[in-house]
Amino acid sequence: MRMQRLNSYLIRLLLILGSLVAMLPIYMAVVNSFKTQGEMFQSFIALPTTLHWENYSDAFNKINLLGSSMNSAIVSFLGIGGIVFCASLAGYKLSRTSGRLSNLIFFLFVASMLVPFHSIMIPLTRVAKGMGVQGSTYGLALIYIGLGVNMAIFLYHGFVKSIPRELEESAQMDGCNEFQTFFQIIFPLLLPITVTIAILDFLWIWNDFLLPLLMLTDVNRYTLILSTNMLFGEYNKEWPLILSSLVLTAIPVILIYAFFQKFIMEGIAEGAVKG
Amino acid sequence: MATNVFKKYLSLLAFTAPAFVIYAIFLLYPTFSGMFYSLTDWNGLNRDYSFIGLGNFVELFKEDPDFLNSLWFTMKYVIFMLILQNGIALLLAVLIESRTRSKGLFRTLFFMPNMISTIISAFMWTFIFSQVLPQLAEKLAFSFLDQQWLGDPKFSFYSILIVSLWNGVGYMMIIYLAALQGVPKSLKEAAVIDGANAFQVLRNVVLPMITHAVTICFFLTLNGAFKVFEVVYGLTGGGPGRGTQVITMNIYEEAFSNNFRYGYASAKSVVLFIIVLIFTLIQITVMKKKEVEA
Repeated sequence: MRMQRLNSYLIRLLLILGSLVAMLPIYMAVVNSFKTQGEMFQSFIALPTTLHWENYSDAFNKINLLGSSMNSAIVSFLGIGGIVFCASLAGYKLSRTSGRLSNLIFFLFVASMLVPFHSIMIPLTRVAKGMGVQGSTYGLALIYIGLGVNMAIFLYHGFVKSIPRELEESAQMDGCNEFQTFFQIIFPLLLPITVTIAILDFLWIWNDFLLPLLMLTDVNRYTLILSTNMLFGEYNKEWPLILSSLVLTAIPVILIYAFFQKFIMEGIAEGAVKG
Repeated sequence: MATNVFKKYLSLLAFTAPAFVIYAIFLLYPTFSGMFYSLTDWNGLNRDYSFIGLGNFVELFKEDPDFLNSLWFTMKYVIFMLILQNGIALLLAVLIESRTRSKGLFRTLFFMPNMISTIISAFMWTFIFSQVLPQLAEKLAFSFLDQQWLGDPKFSFYSILIVSLWNGVGYMMIIYLAALQGVPKSLKEAAVIDGANAFQVLRNVVLPMITHAVTICFFLTLNGAFKVFEVVYGLTGGGPGRGTQVITMNIYEEAFSNNFRYGYASAKSVVLFIIVLIFTLIQITVMKKKEVEA
C-alpha cells in the first residue's frame, strides 16, 4: 500500500516536471515579450517590472496582424470547405460502388498519401505558375484542396461503411435523386468525421509554412505564419519585438484549441485510428 | 442492363470528378512530371532540355557529398525521433492514464506545444538556445548549458531534436492515450491478481493490446521525420555551412536558390519519395504482423 502511494507521488512529480518543461518556452516567450531589451538581459526568467505593451502594438503593425490573420482565415476556410465538399462526395460514392474503376480511383487517392510534399514542391510551383494562380489567395486554397482531399476521402470512405444502405434506398424510393439523397440524408450523418477532417485540416493549413512561402509573393497576401517569418528575418536581434509577434501568432490557434479542445483530441485519435 | 452499368459509371464520375480534377492537377500531375524531369537536364527556364536517363541519379550518389551528408543527417534524425518521440509519448500517456484525477489538465499541458506552428516553435527555441541558456549557464555556473546550441552541428542536432520532440510528442501522446483507454480494465486486473507487477502488466498485457497505435505512431513519425524542414529552417537554416542540412532543405536549395538545376533537383525529390516509400512499407508490413486482435 505504501509502495503504491509512493508510486503515485512519483508519477505526479514526473508529470509536473514534464509539464514545466513543456510550458517553459511559452512562459519565456510571454514574459520576455513584455520587457525592454535591457531588462530582458538582466534576467530572462523574472517577471517584467512594467508591461511594455508597445512591443505588442509594434508587432501588431509589423506583421500586419489583422490583414495576415484574415488571409490565413480565408485560405483555411476555403481550403477546408473545398476539401469537405469534394472529398465527402467522392469518399461516399467510392465506398458505395464496387468494381475495378472505383477501386482504381480509390487506390490512386490513398497511395498518393505517401507522396512527400517536398517531392512535388518543384513541379507544383511550375503548375501554379502555368495556371496563373501563383501569388493568389484563392490559388493557395485550391492547392490545399488538391493536396488534402486524399486523406479526407480515406476517412470518409471508412466512415460511410457504418451508415446503413437502407437510408439511401428509402430516400430514393421517396423520389430523391442521388445528389438530393447525398446532401439531405447522407451528408448530415457524416458530421462526426467532417468535424475531424475540418480540425485536422485547419491545424495543417493555418500552421503551414512552406507552401505559402513558395506560392505567395505579395506581402499583402501573406498568411500569419509567413508574416512572422519575414519579421524574424528582418529584426532578428530585436527579441522583445520578435517574441511579442510570436505570441500574437500563437494566440489564434490557442484560442481555437481552448474552444474545440474536446473535438481536437477526438479528431486526432479518430484520424489516427482510421488512418 | 448496359444502361445500368452506364448509369453506375456516370454517377461514380459525377461524384468523384470535383475531387479528382483538383487532385490530378495539384498532386498527381506534379508527382509524375517530377519523375519525368528527374530524367532530364532541364534548368527550369529554357524550352529545350535533353533526356539524360539516370544521369542525375548517378551524379547525386557519386559526386554530391552535400546530398549524401543531408541524407545521413536525416536518417540519424529519423532514428532518434522514432525512438525518443514514441518512447516519451508512450511514457507520458501511461503516466497520465494511471492517474484518476487531473488527467485532462496534464493532457492539455503536454499537447499545447503541438498547437503552435512548427516554424514559430523553432523561433521561440532559437531565443532560448541563443539567449536564455548561455545566461543561465553563466548565472548558475552550469557549464554544460553553455554550448554552441545552434552554431556547432554536433549540438544543433540535439537542438533540432529537442524542438521537434517538444512540438511533436503531444500528438503521439493523444493517440497512445486513446489506445490505452481502449484496453479493458479487467485484463489488467486479472494480470495483477496473477501476481504481475506494474511493469509486467505494461509489457505483457497493455503493449500487445495497443500495437495498432504503435504502428500508426511509428508510421506518422517516420513519415514526418523524413520530411523535416521547418524546425531546421527556423533554428539553423541548415548551417553552419551545411552541417545541419536535411534532405528537404537540400532539395529546396537546389531548386530555388542554387543554379536552377530543375531536373537534378527533381531527381533528389524522387530519391526522397522512394526512401520514404520503402521505409514506410517495410515498417507497416513488419508491424502489422505483430498486431493482435482484442
